[in-house]
Amino acid sequence: MDTLGNLGFGLGVALSWQNVLYCFIGCFLGTLVGVLPGIGPVATVAMLLPFTFGLNPAPALIMLAGIYYGAQYGGSTTAILVNIPGESSSVVTTLDGYQMARHGRAGPALGIAAIGSFIAGCVATLLIAYFAPPLAEVALKFSPAEYFSLMVFGLIAAVVLARGSLVKAIAMVCFGILLGLIGTDVNSGVIRFAFGLPELADGLGFVALAMAFFGITDVVLNLEHAGKQEVFTSRVGSMLPTADDLRTSFWSIARGTVLGSVLGILPGGGALLASFAAYMFEKKVAKPPRAFGEGDIRGVAAPESANNAGAQTSFIPMLTLGIPSNPTMALMIGALMIQGIAPGPQVMTERPELFWGLIASMWIGNLMLLVLNLPLVGLWIKLLAVPYRLLFPAIFVFCCIGAYTVDNKIFDVYEVAALTAVGYVLLKLDCEPAPMVLGFILGPMMEENLRRAMMISFGDPMVLVTRPISAAFLVAALMLLAAIALPALRAKREEAMQE
Amino acid sequence: MRIRSPKDFWAGLIFVAIGAGFVLLARQYRLGDLHRMGPAMFPTLVGALLAALGLVLALRAFALDGEAVPRFYARPIGASLVAIVLFGVALQWLGLVAAIAALVLVGATAARDTRRLESAALAAAMIAFSIAVFVWLLGLPLPLWPNS
Repeated sequence: MDTLGNLGFGLGVALSWQNVLYCFIGCFLGTLVGVLPGIGPVATVAMLLPFTFGLNPAPALIMLAGIYYGAQYGGSTTAILVNIPGESSSVVTTLDGYQMARHGRAGPALGIAAIGSFIAGCVATLLIAYFAPPLAEVALKFSPAEYFSLMVFGLIAAVVLARGSLVKAIAMVCFGILLGLIGTDVNSGVIRFAFGLPELADGLGFVALAMAFFGITDVVLNLEHAGKQEVFTSRVGSMLPTADDLRTSFWSIARGTVLGSVLGILPGGGALLASFAAYMFEKKVAKPPRAFGEGDIRGVAAPESANNAGAQTSFIPMLTLGIPSNPTMALMIGALMIQGIAPGPQVMTERPELFWGLIASMWIGNLMLLVLNLPLVGLWIKLLAVPYRLLFPAIFVFCCIGAYTVDNKIFDVYEVAALTAVGYVLLKLDCEPAPMVLGFILGPMMEENLRRAMMISFGDPMVLVTRPISAAFLVAALMLLAAIALPALRAKREEAMQE
Repeated sequence: MRIRSPKDFWAGLIFVAIGAGFVLLARQYRLGDLHRMGPAMFPTLVGALLAALGLVLALRAFALDGEAVPRFYARPIGASLVAIVLFGVALQWLGLVAAIAALVLVGATAARDTRRLESAALAAAMIAFSIAVFVWLLGLPLPLWPNS
């Protein structure tokens, strides 16, 4: 089947009333959470996992995906109206978006964010449809050695692109890998690092880990810096951007879409990096360089298009290689595994309805979001008025029930508490949780593939560098590390993170 | 010698402890050789790498300037942890209704501006919502009451 035929088939799957409904629920919840500051998409996807247990894999994945890209839409609303990023990927939108709102142009800012996101979402959906199948084809030919090197490359790339100290990030990856190894070793049947607790034989719960590191610790840190938030609710006015607005931002949307799509595919990329890069790029190339930071509509259009494009193309490595490029994708992989599906290139051939249905649903979801966002802005604004003291206990409830219902084990609730304590201390020391979560998911896969590679090569580690594709991945990883260690580039990276 | 970057220093020490801990714990499993890697091989390699990175961090903290360790506030983290543990205990022995009540009422004290009546109302709302959505709508097997 050609790509269009496949997309048509996917549309058929996605347009069943059940899938449309779950797509809607996902987009709605995603927007809701995106609007609320203090709950990120990772925590949301984790909290909403229990809702998908009773579902088939296709609607479950469609809903979870809707939450992720829906959150990118919602985040912009808060950024523009309150000057607080609803999501970390909307941080740069606050710069120009809030200024626009102060000048009485909140409506066009919201409008252009929604339109830019929609265009970017459509393009990204097509990109996934065209690029994922050939990539999966290549990946199917990978031997264990290639897979191991690919994972090393993926982890290094994720670390290099992440914030903060490189050494700390790599250390967090190692910590995550070690936590991932807790439990029964599939090869020997030995239960490792369980401290005699029978509950740990199945390993640490991934949902519990995600709740602890992205849900509860976030709440705790928010409570520590309880600041006042001022909602900018004065009239939003007409949402429609003027013809002049559209003309000015057309190329910004195009540039943001391209940049976001490319950065989303990279490991460690995704929405956050895409929006930062798009804003900086826009500041450099946009002509005339009018008033960035003082309410330039292009400063809203570019990053909002980019974060949506990036959010969607980050599905490509997850769907084709079974490798997560950010913590949300790691959760998606977790969700697949709970559904009994081994993530990897075979998903596309063995479960075409899942793959193409998910892709087609993204387009439908983007359309829904456009419709959902423009008229419902009033509702979202009201939501912003809910004080945090009423929100965070609800987050606790969702996290705890979610962690428990994965396996109906009380022990998982205690795991949440223990991991929260660990995560709190590490966050206080500036150790980011995202690399750790990637390590946690990839750790067991890395061990398995390294074992097989060594088995095939009779214990010769050189196999990792004599096979060309494997060597290429390792060289690329080394080059990334070298590049980031160079002082000049390092300064550049820090400058980028500062802004 | 003065610690110039306390955050890095303590993070480094923690990583050394974790890495070394995993290496030591792995000694009770079979190491094997590269051809047939035993269950201890991979954790030992990764644990050693973690300890080494931690050592680099800790030693570097004497040379490079960095931030001080920020204050730990006992109330938010303490109340949250107690609330979650209470939820677990209550869910096991008393059922979901009591568990949510405990979680919300104790958890709410993590914030300084909590009001008692408001928390009670919130607890009631969360109980109603959870029963309606999780138990009735989604049919998740959650015990509602003691011994049920």
